[in-house]
Amino acid sequence: MSIEIKKAVLSSAAVAAALAVAQPALAGKANDTLVYASDSEPESVSPYHNNVREGVILARNAWDTLLWRDPGSGEYVPLLATSWEWVDDKTLDVELRQGVTFHNGEPFDADDVVFTFNYVVTPEAKVVTKQNVEWIESAEKLGPYKVRIHTKGPFPAALEYLSGPTPIYPNEYFEKVGLEGYSKAPVGTGPYKITRVDVGKGVSLEKFDGYFKDSPRGEASIGKLEFRVIPDAETRVAELMTGGVDWIWRVPADQADQLEQMPNVEVLNAETMRVAYLAMDAAGRTAEDSPFKDIRVRRAVAHAIDRQAIVDNLVRGASRVMHAACFPSQFGCDMEAVKKYEYDPAKAKELLAEAGYKDGFKTDIYAYREREYTEAMMGYLRDVGIDANLHFLKYAALRDLQRAGKVPLNSQTWGSFSVNDVSAFTGVYFKGGPDDYAMDAEVTELLEKGDVTTDPAKRKELYREALQKIAEQAYWLPLFSYSTNYAFTSDLSFEAQPDEVVRFYMASWK
Amino acid sequence: MIGYILRRAAVALSVAFTVSVVSFLLLHLSGDLAVAIAGPEATPAQVEQIRLEYGLDRPLWVQYGEWLAGAVQFDFGRSFFFREDVSTLVLDRLPVTMTLGAIALAFAVVLAVPLGVVAAIRPNSWLDRVALTIAVAGQAMPSFWFALVLILVVGVQLRWLPISGNDTWQHFVLPAIALGYYATPAIMRLTRTGMLDVLSSDYIRTARAKGLRTSTVLVKHALRNAIIPVVALAAVQLGFMLGGSVVIETIFALHGLGHLAWESISRNDFPVVQAVVLILAMFYILLTFLADLLNAWLDPKIRVA
Amino acid sequence: MTNATALPDKAEAAPALGAGARMRRRVFGNHSLMVGSVILLAILLVAVLAPLIAPHDPYAQDVSRRLIPPIWQEKGTWEHVLGTDKLGRDYLSRLIYGAQISLMIGLLAAAASAVIGIALGVAAGYFGGRVDSVVSYIVTTRLSMPVVLVALAVVGVIGGSLTVVILTLGLLLWDRYAVVTRSATMQIRESEYVAAAQAIGCSTPRIILGEILPNIMNPIIVVATLEVAHAILLEAALSFLGLGVQPPLPSWGLMIAEAKQYMFFSPWVIMVPGVALFVLVLAINLVGDGVRDVTAPESRN
Repeated sequence: MSIEIKKAVLSSAAVAAALAVAQPALAGKANDTLVYASDSEPESVSPYHNNVREGVILARNAWDTLLWRDPGSGEYVPLLATSWEWVDDKTLDVELRQGVTFHNGEPFDADDVVFTFNYVVTPEAKVVTKQNVEWIESAEKLGPYKVRIHTKGPFPAALEYLSGPTPIYPNEYFEKVGLEGYSKAPVGTGPYKITRVDVGKGVSLEKFDGYFKDSPRGEASIGKLEFRVIPDAETRVAELMTGGVDWIWRVPADQADQLEQMPNVEVLNAETMRVAYLAMDAAGRTAEDSPFKDIRVRRAVAHAIDRQAIVDNLVRGASRVMHAACFPSQFGCDMEAVKKYEYDPAKAKELLAEAGYKDGFKTDIYAYREREYTEAMMGYLRDVGIDANLHFLKYAALRDLQRAGKVPLNSQTWGSFSVNDVSAFTGVYFKGGPDDYAMDAEVTELLEKGDVTTDPAKRKELYREALQKIAEQAYWLPLFSYSTNYAFTSDLSFEAQPDEVVRFYMASWK
Repeated sequence: MIGYILRRAAVALSVAFTVSVVSFLLLHLSGDLAVAIAGPEATPAQVEQIRLEYGLDRPLWVQYGEWLAGAVQFDFGRSFFFREDVSTLVLDRLPVTMTLGAIALAFAVVLAVPLGVVAAIRPNSWLDRVALTIAVAGQAMPSFWFALVLILVVGVQLRWLPISGNDTWQHFVLPAIALGYYATPAIMRLTRTGMLDVLSSDYIRTARAKGLRTSTVLVKHALRNAIIPVVALAAVQLGFMLGGSVVIETIFALHGLGHLAWESISRNDFPVVQAVVLILAMFYILLTFLADLLNAWLDPKIRVA
Repeated sequence: MTNATALPDKAEAAPALGAGARMRRRVFGNHSLMVGSVILLAILLVAVLAPLIAPHDPYAQDVSRRLIPPIWQEKGTWEHVLGTDKLGRDYLSRLIYGAQISLMIGLLAAAASAVIGIALGVAAGYFGGRVDSVVSYIVTTRLSMPVVLVALAVVGVIGGSLTVVILTLGLLLWDRYAVVTRSATMQIRESEYVAAAQAIGCSTPRIILGEILPNIMNPIIVVATLEVAHAILLEAALSFLGLGVQPPLPSWGLMIAEAKQYMFFSPWVIMVPGVALFVLVLAINLVGDGVRDVTAPESRN
């Protein structure tokens, strides 16, 4: 080797080494900063003004709600409230906790609660998560630490909503800075405070030292959180593998298996409340002669798809085959009471022949996420003679078509906003709205009654009947629950819950 | 010359106007924006409310006129998604894309010009062919695939460079290579052709005859003359790169204009897409305009044509 | 884009040979043309013969036999030489059928854009004057629109499908045809035989179809090859972003997108379609360069 070449090699090695050293080492246990990455950015950090998961995560880590649903026991426990009482089926009185302060030092009291609820129901607030607040009529101050909440009608699921998607804002600060200022420098009472918002790129959080000591959620353990938006899934994995990021989620099953083999990475799989389903045009909205108007065709579809094989081979992890149009942990969801369709392609073919489709038929299937799951279903449908042509669209575009009644076979998912009540799932799709492709008046009536019945046993009974009818008629083929793979540095001790609300305040370094 | 500049400027402006009309129509005729803005869980009543609120119920030309009146003052309205001024968003993202484009172009030039010079010194030799192959490979490689390979090899296996983000200049190296390689063959070929022309000219022969060193002749005399059309081409290439950086920005998590546009497309955030398309088009028009001027200055024949 | 390649051209030095022989020598003496053609022919052959040579049905899924490694890895089998994909479909068969899809998209998109580009270019070159100004204006406008973004925006809303992708690309990639045919037509228009045809009262369409088009075929072929390559790459990019061809159709771009997930631990999954795409596009570009050198030796520089 000539001296020149040696020199060149050495100097390029030196450059490479310098580059390696120059990498900013921000992530990790060493500097008590947990860097987590996800693909989407909340359009506004204000919890009522975005509807993405990443926004929900921020909301649950930096804000508090009146109640808290203990993820372990499933019980509602007081958080910013100390106690509550139904005065009648439309009036809820809540006693509030004293001595709580917001991140900016503003003390928490009844004015904050009254302001928040009265603000979010106004049209001017332009709340994005309307379905989470539209049950509220108004809030009223009864004392410095006592409020009264009026609901629009009997709303038995109120406690569930008060313990999740309804964080409390500081009235004085918000009124001073307005929504725009608040989105850039938000303030809550939660275990973490938001220190910097980089619109569309990321959010920095820091442990809130003034967090109230007797909170059932407990104090945060990790000093700093750093949320980075990294749109590409493989880039996120690459960053995790090289230590640039400490925590990622929604890792596909195959990748998770392989990541698990790495010494510095840990993988955790947990079921989520998201349920995949196949909706069929039973009402004949797409065409007068839609084959799915025939119950035998719908049942044939249900028998044609090997859901268990899809769960075992593709989705994997903690996911399960679903039979009813809801998630099992939701109030009113009874998986056992409904008709189940086993995988039986021969029977499917038979049913199709009976319905007059001996040679099968062509149709269109629409989907917006996890294309491979839909692809697998198409494969099974092809086997019994149903030739489904795939249209893979963006959610908004698919929604347009869906509402316009143009989607004969709809491969969809629903996450219920983590609300543990059937009204947040079945109710959305079977109450005769534009998303309803069954248009079954009986089901609609049962659901509507259930939504306003306060007696839990009666409510359950009504929902059960509706779910039974849906399954019996095979309006939908519920497919499986999703499971999420979380992958993170092995320095981290982290637990996941089915509601996909990532609770970093419960995580710690090992 | 001034007459020429004015004529070209007038054409550039009207092209910009046409681009704005076309992109406005293209994006506006494509689906119900109100539904898109309202989001997945909105009721039909909410959708109608939004339609009124955003003025989407008015005739298209009214909406366009209003948009154009704002656009000329760099006011592109508000983003449906971020609820922020589009101009703020765009200005925030612009530097990232510009930096990426500039570094990518620098990479392409640094790779392509020497290759072109080498190829021209020994035309039709194996050296020429190797140089051409290196350049042409860039054109044949899908840039997103190349980007992934770079992440895999340089980022994960060798760990030489950071993979995502835009904190330091190192963060721009991989994306710039992935983006810039595609432009290499065009620049290389033009350099080679230019060099061949210049090298065969009397002027260079004289310089050589005077006994000047080959390297001096090459760099001081030949390259200097051959490089100007290359600069013009590079300007145009930069325009292409800015428009083509969507995939690269997405892969490397560079929060630039391209990624903003792509995300906005998937969210039907129409004002943002509209603004980015227009801005990128303006850049392209400006850069080609400058390239034209450069060429005209070099070659007075063009001015008459 | 200026693509002037000067490759060895020994034929010029032998003026004694007949025109046909000279051409033959030029063709066979042109390395890039030869290499490119051989590769391209091979891929074309594979695409055309796909049903005969593919070992399996490219759509037949078996989720219990997914992600079998290729033959050169420990658990590989001859049954699936390149292994299977995430749905248990034979990777080699998908690659073979993928050649069909990628080539079809490239050819059809290039053909569609040829129609638009040639019509505009010939019109501009033949009629000149105001027509020429208008066409130049349209070309400039088209060039100023960021292609990738516009294609994404359009396809993102309509939803991707084979037809949509071909039409979108066809509507976007005609500019080079227009530029090249315009200048070629201008040259031909001044020629004697066009003047002669005009003198004997031939109609304009007849002159264009009978005299002009046949004489500008060479530059058009060169542009067409470049656009085929361009369209294939753009389709791959669209498919990569999920807006191109829809599964289960196996386009190579889509295969790369689907393989992305496995790139860290089984790099061959992404390397196979990536290299295939690279070789195909390279071969097309080489053929394009070669054709230019052979047909228009005078315009090499």
